[in-house]
Amino acid sequence: MLIQLLNGVVYGGLLYLLSVGLVLIFGLRQVVNFAHGALFMIGAYIGYSVAAAGSWWGGLVVAVVAMAIAGCVLDATLFRALRKQDHIVTVLVTFGLLLILETLVTVIWGKAYLRYPMPDLLSGTVDIAGSPFPVYRLFVIVVSIVVALSLASWLRFTRIGLYVRAASTDARVTSIQGINVDRLSLIVVGLGTALAGLSGVVAGPLLSLSPTMGNYILIDSFIVVVIGGMGSFGGAFVAALLIGQIHNFGAIYLPWAGTMLPLLLMVGVLIWRPTGLSGART
Amino acid sequence: MSLLAFHDVHALYGQARILNGVTFEVGAGERVALVGRNGVGKTTVVNTLCGGTRVAQGRIELRGRPTKDLRGYSAAQNGIAIVLQGRGILPNLTVEENLLLGGATARRGPWTLAKIQELFPILSERRSNPGWALSGGQQQMLAIGRALMANPDLLILDEPSEGLAPVIVDDLAALLVQLGTDGMGILLIEQNISLIHRVAERFYVLSKGSVAESGSLHNVSRDELQGHIAI
Repeated sequence: MLIQLLNGVVYGGLLYLLSVGLVLIFGLRQVVNFAHGALFMIGAYIGYSVAAAGSWWGGLVVAVVAMAIAGCVLDATLFRALRKQDHIVTVLVTFGLLLILETLVTVIWGKAYLRYPMPDLLSGTVDIAGSPFPVYRLFVIVVSIVVALSLASWLRFTRIGLYVRAASTDARVTSIQGINVDRLSLIVVGLGTALAGLSGVVAGPLLSLSPTMGNYILIDSFIVVVIGGMGSFGGAFVAALLIGQIHNFGAIYLPWAGTMLPLLLMVGVLIWRPTGLSGART
Repeated sequence: MSLLAFHDVHALYGQARILNGVTFEVGAGERVALVGRNGVGKTTVVNTLCGGTRVAQGRIELRGRPTKDLRGYSAAQNGIAIVLQGRGILPNLTVEENLLLGGATARRGPWTLAKIQELFPILSERRSNPGWALSGGQQQMLAIGRALMANPDLLILDEPSEGLAPVIVDDLAALLVQLGTDGMGILLIEQNISLIHRVAERFYVLSKGSVAESGSLHNVSRDELQGHIAI
């Protein structure tokens, strides 16, 4: 049971890393970024290429930095322009971007499934309550917790974190206080896409690499964002852990309904609390 | 010195022209009212200052300098703080966080967090409460306190008396007069004749997107001003 709980935390942790980027981008730009799963996937491929050249940890760093730069470019060229557009326009544009990025990856790396190596340092198992548990999975949990705590501290205790929370609630009011929300967005979107890259690399050894690897986890990430409350960082954390457990236990005890359960939970939460678990009050 | 000036400003929301040649000016230490009934473009003046409309014609000057590409942060970075209609309290931030946000421009001046909390003790008592938990009057104190945290040279208030009890409006009037006396410019955008008369020295009446009347409030009775607003 403990092992299954930990497996749920592993998936929940990956979901958190991906969905918190969605929350950051939606909060600042009001853009529902369907291409976020593709950024996760590209992060994994970049990390894979560097790891294949000999450095797994170098792959992690390069993927995170490359996706941060990509996020800044996306914000300046696309998300800024989409800010005042109807949501359906942003969905269509980001979905188009997803297709472009998938095609790009297919051209560069091909369609075949690739196996992401695991770093030697993190291979093997440890004994937990009499059962073996992969060290790498513990690493995923640790990374998720470190990111969650760092992000929460940054948002809670720094001046920029205050501005980010403010702009995520009301960008106009925040701007009127003298804060350049466009400049703030550049940082925040870059951070969000960097986290997508990080989650892609961290998820790599647990999944097979393919151009569509981001699609399934993106759907779960959107469910996390909706259940947590659009724009809520704490809500995303709780919802990600919840979906991780439901995903894991659903696959074991209700395999026929496994993919439905997160969606059913989302519907239930929306009926109970239409703004999600920690949705913004107005 | 002129802190804010609109010269023949025409502004549009999409294709709809809301301001049709608005001209007014507020100088340092002046208390000026921009009055008019609902829908004449008063709030559009604020939105235009914050870059929320397209300026088709005319010019806006901040501290005497023509400013073409107005953004939301332009006014604050030029020493102009705005108390928005509806107050613009960030509901999920605490009272103290809302106040700290007002100090984002880091302008030096007499107003600090401690000074604001001294002026409005209830904001100190409720500093850890979220913005949404405050009453309307407390939210107005918070909105004004947040604006003062910017140590502005000019304070713009859009319909600050809306939804407030008369006793709180009295306190508000006294505070605005005191701020003006201390050298802060005040631009009061209002319909409340009593508040306008107690606070402002000059007025502009906005009608159909342009200034229909202007002058000194010393020469205008409340009834006459009410008549102007009814234009």
